[in-house]
This record gives sequence, structure tokens and C-alpha cells, in this order.
Amino acid sequence: MAKIMEIIEKQTKGKSYRTYKYSYDSIGLPSINYDDDSNKTIKWKESGETNISKNPIDLKPLADQLQKIGDKPLLKYFLDGSRRVFKVDDIAYNNQVFPVVAGQIGIGCCSREQKCMRKERFYRELVLALPDKANADGWNDAAYFAAQTEKLNNSEELKRLNLHFSAIIPYSTSKIGSSEVKLDNLAIAAIQDYMIEAEKRMVAELVKDKRLGQDSYLLKDGSLEYKDMKSGREDLRTLQKIKSNYHWVIGVSKSFNPASCLDYTGKPNSNYIANLPVLHRTPVARYENREFLGDIQFGVWYIRLRDKFRTQTPFDGVVKVEKIMLDNEIDYGIDSDVIDVISANIINERNPTCYGTDRRWANHLYPVFLTESYVKSKYISTEMFLHLF
Amino acid sequence: MANTVIGRIVATEKKPTTIDDFTFWTDSKLILNPFDIVKVEHVNDSVSYGVVEDIAHITDAASFLTNYISSDFGDVSAEENTLRVGMNYVTAKVICNTKNIYIPLQNNVKVMLATAKEINYALGLDDIRNPLVCGYLEMYEGTKDCEKVTLPVNLNSKFIIGPEGAHLNISGISGLAAKTSYAMFLLKAIQDSYMKKSKEDEDEDSVAFVLFNVKGKDLLAIDQLNDFYDERNPEQARNETHAKYRALGLSTEPFKNVQYYYPYSIPNTRHWNTYMTPQEVEDNIKKKKAKKFKYIYKYDKDNLDLMFANIDDSTQTMESIISYIMSGQGKFNQISDWQEFLEVVKEKNSAETTTKDKEISVQSWRKFYRIINKSITDNKIFARDIREDEGETRIGDAIKKIKKNEVHVIDIAKLSEDKQAYVFGDTIRTIYDLQLGQYNGEDGVAPPSRIVIFIDELNKYASSEMPKNSPILRQVLDVAERGRSLGVVLFAAEQFRSSIHDRVTGNCSTHAYGRTNSIEVAKGDYKSIPPVYKTMMTRLKQGEYIIQNPVFRSLLNIKFPKPIYKQFK
Repeated sequence: MAKIMEIIEKQTKGKSYRTYKYSYDSIGLPSINYDDDSNKTIKWKESGETNISKNPIDLKPLADQLQKIGDKPLLKYFLDGSRRVFKVDDIAYNNQVFPVVAGQIGIGCCSREQKCMRKERFYRELVLALPDKANADGWNDAAYFAAQTEKLNNSEELKRLNLHFSAIIPYSTSKIGSSEVKLDNLAIAAIQDYMIEAEKRMVAELVKDKRLGQDSYLLKDGSLEYKDMKSGREDLRTLQKIKSNYHWVIGVSKSFNPASCLDYTGKPNSNYIANLPVLHRTPVARYENREFLGDIQFGVWYIRLRDKFRTQTPFDGVVKVEKIMLDNEIDYGIDSDVIDVISANIINERNPTCYGTDRRWANHLYPVFLTESYVKSKYISTEMFLHLF
Repeated sequence: MANTVIGRIVATEKKPTTIDDFTFWTDSKLILNPFDIVKVEHVNDSVSYGVVEDIAHITDAASFLTNYISSDFGDVSAEENTLRVGMNYVTAKVICNTKNIYIPLQNNVKVMLATAKEINYALGLDDIRNPLVCGYLEMYEGTKDCEKVTLPVNLNSKFIIGPEGAHLNISGISGLAAKTSYAMFLLKAIQDSYMKKSKEDEDEDSVAFVLFNVKGKDLLAIDQLNDFYDERNPEQARNETHAKYRALGLSTEPFKNVQYYYPYSIPNTRHWNTYMTPQEVEDNIKKKKAKKFKYIYKYDKDNLDLMFANIDDSTQTMESIISYIMSGQGKFNQISDWQEFLEVVKEKNSAETTTKDKEISVQSWRKFYRIINKSITDNKIFARDIREDEGETRIGDAIKKIKKNEVHVIDIAKLSEDKQAYVFGDTIRTIYDLQLGQYNGEDGVAPPSRIVIFIDELNKYASSEMPKNSPILRQVLDVAERGRSLGVVLFAAEQFRSSIHDRVTGNCSTHAYGRTNSIEVAKGDYKSIPPVYKTMMTRLKQGEYIIQNPVFRSLLNIKFPKPIYKQFK
């Protein structure tokens, strides 16, 4: 039975080199973490909440009170997307060699009921990133690669294993030659983008099924700063739709670049976060990035979950929270009471921890950790996956 | 009843499934008990059954520290919004497969609760010939979405009273284990089934029972119904117990054809040798259901060795004196009663008379005299003659004439330990000889094909620490090793199984383990028993036993109803 690379080689008239196959994740190659890309130039403006304050806000009383009342926690759904990328081959088109990168994408959403986590829904998608040169005609990439995907899925090998590739994604080769650009990274970025798209799809589905609401928020692992996709700037209507999907969604990032922590004056002030007292939150900052994010504005704040002297660095134990601003909020800021309740709920997620299992335990929220573990458990093993090619 | 799926098999690198064992996960709240049977799908549409051995609960916490940290670094009041992911994993042992396929169970296949019919099949209880009820088992107690399964457990009687396998050993600590009650329950089941049988076909094998009462009046009213007077609600207790007996296919009547033997006693003196009152003894003798037993020198001198059962005789001097006496050497052939006997022995104690005799020293004779004198003069059961009209008898004569379905209860509770051994030894010697055919042709001798002897406190007669040449130990070993073919079956009970001679326990086909203590289960005798079952043995309830019999595919945890015969507290 023909292996995938043989099919691709034949279909796209390239030359496969059968090079060494390996996983990018396991050998710690370029870590591209788009979620928390610290180099984005974000311009901080004024406060993003209704009560303007300059000092950290103590949320312990509120968090304890919520715990005491025994209300259902606000956060009910937890979403995590992750991918594993593999260098599976090198392929030559017109004597130019390009990497072929394959990815397994897993998007999982778990819900919590009576303190127990249940699977809500899960996608596993297999994708392949090929250089755009694979389409020699250069027109209508979407149709061309969709056709290739179908041919691939009809191969005996995949049918036998009951596997299905979701897409073949072209990555742009136009920047080739520039010293900063590594082709592998472009391919990985293409897969990353596909994953983000899949995450959005999952959120949209949850909204469509009316799962989310004011007492059942979705907590997404990582940032909500979705950048526009390569297909070009989407029209305003789509953007609006995406925005309204995110009414009951918050993004919580475990890691962030301390250097980009700006205080209310807009100046970098890492100390402000480093000295944030335990179970306090910072005031909400507002940011927008028209070039990058269109007219979407975010409220961003930080919460310290663990005492500084318990963690390795003063930035461990702090999470970054994001919420998209909607309608009136853009003008007046997000209601501070809402921010407080959300924050208190996040604080109440501090226990249990995954200490000993995950090194990021101080920043990890346990339900997110479980969702992540669930997603990871669904991956095809590296050996088996690489063997397909 | 449909099979409820309760989990799936896990086979990992570190914990693979094997031919014998497997592991499956279940919900952490699902209640299962050791000894519960589960059903597992297997290859070729076959089904394997396993018995639960151990249940463990794990979470994803990497260490104790993880949990400590998860309580805000040791804040005992810290609450959590999400329960830590946890599950139970159950270790079980394969007991059978419907198609005899014993390759390891496959990863991720479904594990289900079994139906009553399937449990019967799995344990091999559905196809038992010569069924003899030995209790009932309860399964899935408290298991969600599943009714408790109650099943009568039958043994193949050929495997407990012969000829395929014989002897029962019951162990457990006093009081809590209810050893006597369990033995009596089995004896009752045997009597019931043979009484039923004898009506149908006459020549089939037959059985009789010889019981020793060693404690109070325990077995001295087994032909009377239990009045449950010590229960809070006697009426209810009676109805419940009777219902259980009926469900197990047993009659609700006490033992039948019972004959009691009390040691000969003189009322209102210190020579009253039984816990029954003189009035009760008198009544029972009048009703012809009891006799008093005595020992007469002429007939019982052959059993003198039994008095030395617990005396360390490493130089075998006592043994040689006994054989000297038995063979009637010296003046011993002219003796007719115990008194004369003692006098002759006393004569031997003087230095002059024994100087001619080089073989046995005067010191030995003195020791012999000391022991024998104390035993014989101390008690009136050693007598010159018997009065049959007064309801007196020799044990040997009485046991010789045992008939099928009869129950003979010999009361030795109030006798001193050496005399208990003497009576016990004498009885089993008689039974052994009877079954060997020694009394064939004598008047009234028509022994049943099997005689079941029940004795509590076996450790007194067959302890592993007993002198090797102890005549009583030899007698018990003879019964244990050859009794199966002769039709002499020993049902014995003791507190600590480990203290019993290996050759006795080793020859028992059936073992019943009642509540015991943790020191006992740590001993070598329990090596083959899985650790969880060992722990279970230390907390078994009264009326609960773990049974081992070659017919069963695994150990069984069974229960039995309260005694049907009269209880004394």
C-alpha cells in the first residue's frame, strides 16, 4: 500500500526525499506560541472597567463568600486546543526543497457538572502542510488542495486504518530567502492557524447549541487574541458574529511575557505584576489593535492565584485573563462587578492543583489541565502517525 | 436481568493482563466487594468470569504533596470546585471461560456484572452432583443498579464426607467465628439429605454422627428447637431463620435420632461431670435418649496409652510400661478393676520388687503411678462395673452399635483435659476399629458406611507441637490419612489453623475460614490466600465463612443461617 508521501509525490509531481521523520514537540525545536506572542505591539489605552482604580483589588472575601454560599461555579465549560507537529519529509518542486509538516490537532471541550468533568465535544483533525508551490498552477488553492485531500483520504492505507485527513494546508513560500524566515516555522504556523480556526468553530458550535450563558461561562485555555486569518480581512459581519459568540467566553493564559506587562499608566511595569498580592487582581486594561484585531477591544487583567513565596519566580502563580468587550462595554468599560465575580470564580479554581504532574502547576487551572490531558490522551501515537508517511 | 457494564479492562506496560489476572477500571463510587463475580467479553465470542480480589482508588495526584498543596498549602478548610479525577481499579482473578480460552483478556473490553445464573456457572455451582448445601452467598451488596444476588451454595457431598474427598477443618477465633454453629449447620444438612435419601433407596451409602460436646451445654440439646430467647424479637428471628432454612432446601426441624452420653457422675458431689443438672440427666435417661458412660478396667485397659497423650515420653519409658501392662506381664494379668491395678502399680514403686526387672526403672514406675493415680482416682468414670438398667454404658459398646442417621453426642465438657483426650481417643479408636470391620458379626453391630466425627478444639489432640509419639495424635493422623476410604470423617474445629499438625490440615478436602486475627493470617498456612482475603478474614461477621473445596473454582465467601437447635448462653 502506498504511503502518504508516495501519493503526494505522485499527485503534486514533486520529488520526495524520504528524510528523517521526527516530532517537533519532542526535540524542542522552535517554540512558537502564538497564543502568547509577547511581541505584539499592543497599545494600551485607558481603563477597561467601569470602576477606575489604580490599586490591586482584593478578591479573597468575595471568593470565600462564593465558596460559602455554595453557588454553582460560573465557569462550566473548558476548552483547550493543542497540536502536535511532525516533520515528515522534504519534497522538491523545481529543484527547490521544502519541508513537509504534518500535524495532529486536538480540540477538546469538557463541561463540569457536580464537580466532575465530562466530555462535551472533541475534534481530532489530521492536517498536512505543503508548500504552496505544490499547486503549480497557482490559482484557486482552496479547491486544489481540497481535491488532493480527498485523493489522499481515498488511499487504501488510510481507509484500512480508518483515518481521515481534514485538510492539506499550503504555506506561503514567497518570503523564502529572507534570513529570518524558516520554512518549517511557516508550515507550523499554518497548522497553528488551522487549529485556532478549529477552536473558533468549537466556540461557535457551543454558542449555536445554546450551551453558554451568564451562569455557564466558557474558559478557553490561552489568549483570545485571534488574528485575522490568511484568507484576508474578513468582512465586518463575520467579525460581529465572532464577537457575539464570545459574550460568555474568557481566555486565561498561563504564561505571558512579563516585559509586556503594562500598568495603568501604559508604561511597562513588571514589578506591578510581580508584587501583586495573592488573590488580588489588577485593574482591567483595555487594548485594541486595529491592524491586527480589527475593531475588537479586549479587557485584560491579571490575577495572582498563589503566594509569591511559594513559587519559583514572582510571575508564577499569576494568570492573564481576557474578555472581549461588547457593545456598551466599548464605551464604558466592562462592569467591574462582573470582572470581580469572574475573577473570584477563577480564584476558586486554584484548587486542586496538578503539582507534580505539570511543571506549570502554579499557573494551571485544574479543569483546564484535565481538558488538556483529555485532548492529549486522544492523540495517535507518534510512531504510528509517522509510519503513515 | 441484563448485564450492567461497570468498566473496561486495562492492560498497560506495567500492569498487563495475564492468564490468571486482570485489572479493570470502574467508577469510583461503584460498590463492589471482594469475591464478587464479574463477566468479561473475550475472543471468539467467549466469556470469561473473574472474581474480585482487590479494589484500589487512584487519582492523578502525583504525590501526597500535590494534595497538600491543593488545599492552599495545608488549609484544612479549603474547598475545590472540581473534584480531582479519580477512579477505582479492580484486580480480579480469572476463574473460567465459557470456551476454555485462557489467553489474557484484551485491553478495553467491557466488564459487566453477572446474573445469578452466570454466577452459578462461573463458580461451578450449577453442575454439582450429590448436592449438599453448605451455606449461601450474597453478591453485589450495595452495588448500584443491581439487585443483591443470593444463591445457595452446594458442595458435592462425596467431596466432604468421602469417598472422593473427606474431612473438614474449621478455623476461627472463639465466639466471633461461630465454628460450632457452622459445623452443626453442615451436619444438619448432611442428616437432612441422607434421611431424605434413605427413604428412596435403602442400600445407598449411609451416615451417622459422633459429636463431642466440649463447652458448657452447647451440643446437649440439639434435638430441641431453638427458642431464640436471646434475640430482641424471638418471633421474627425464628421466622427469618426458618425461611432461610427452607430457601436452602433444609427442614426446619432440629437433629433427629440423637443419643447423649454423659460422664458417670454422682449428684451433689464434686464428682458431677456434666453441666446438665442431675434432674435433666435423669429425665433424659428415662426418655431413653441419654446414657452415662464409665470405663471398666477389663475392657478399657487397652486404651491406657491415651492418658499419656500429652506427656512427653522421649525415652519411651511410659510406652514400655503400658505395653508391659497390656501384655499382662507380672501381676497384671490377674487384675479385674482399677483399684487392684493401682495397687499393683504401687507395688512396682517399691525398690525391692523392681530390682529384678532391669528394663524399667523404679523411677519410671513412680512417674507412671503418679500420672495414672491422679487420673483414675480423681474421677468416678473409672469404675468396676456398669449397670445397664441405670442407663450406664461403656463408650466403646455404645459406639459399636451406632446405626445410620444416628447422632451420638458425647459430653466431655467438664472432664479434665487428660480425660477428655482419653474419651476422645477411645471413641475414635472404636470408630476406626468399627469401620475396619473388627466388630463385624457381633450382636447389634451394623455400622453405616460413613461416620462423621465432630470435635472442637482439635489443637488439644492434633497440635503441631504435640509429642511425635502421642497415641492420640497417631490416631487422629490415621483418621485424617486413611479415614476417607474407611468411612471415618473428621469435622474438626480450632481457633488457630496454624497450630494444627500439617498432615491433618493437609488431608482435609474442605476448609472453612472464619473470623481470625491478623497474627494468624500472617502465618505460612495462609500463604496461598490473596492479601485482601486475608484481611477479610480478620473482619468476617458471625455466620460468615470463606470456604475452600476442590469442587469450587475459587474461594467462596458464604453465609449460613442461625442454628436451628436449642442454644445455651
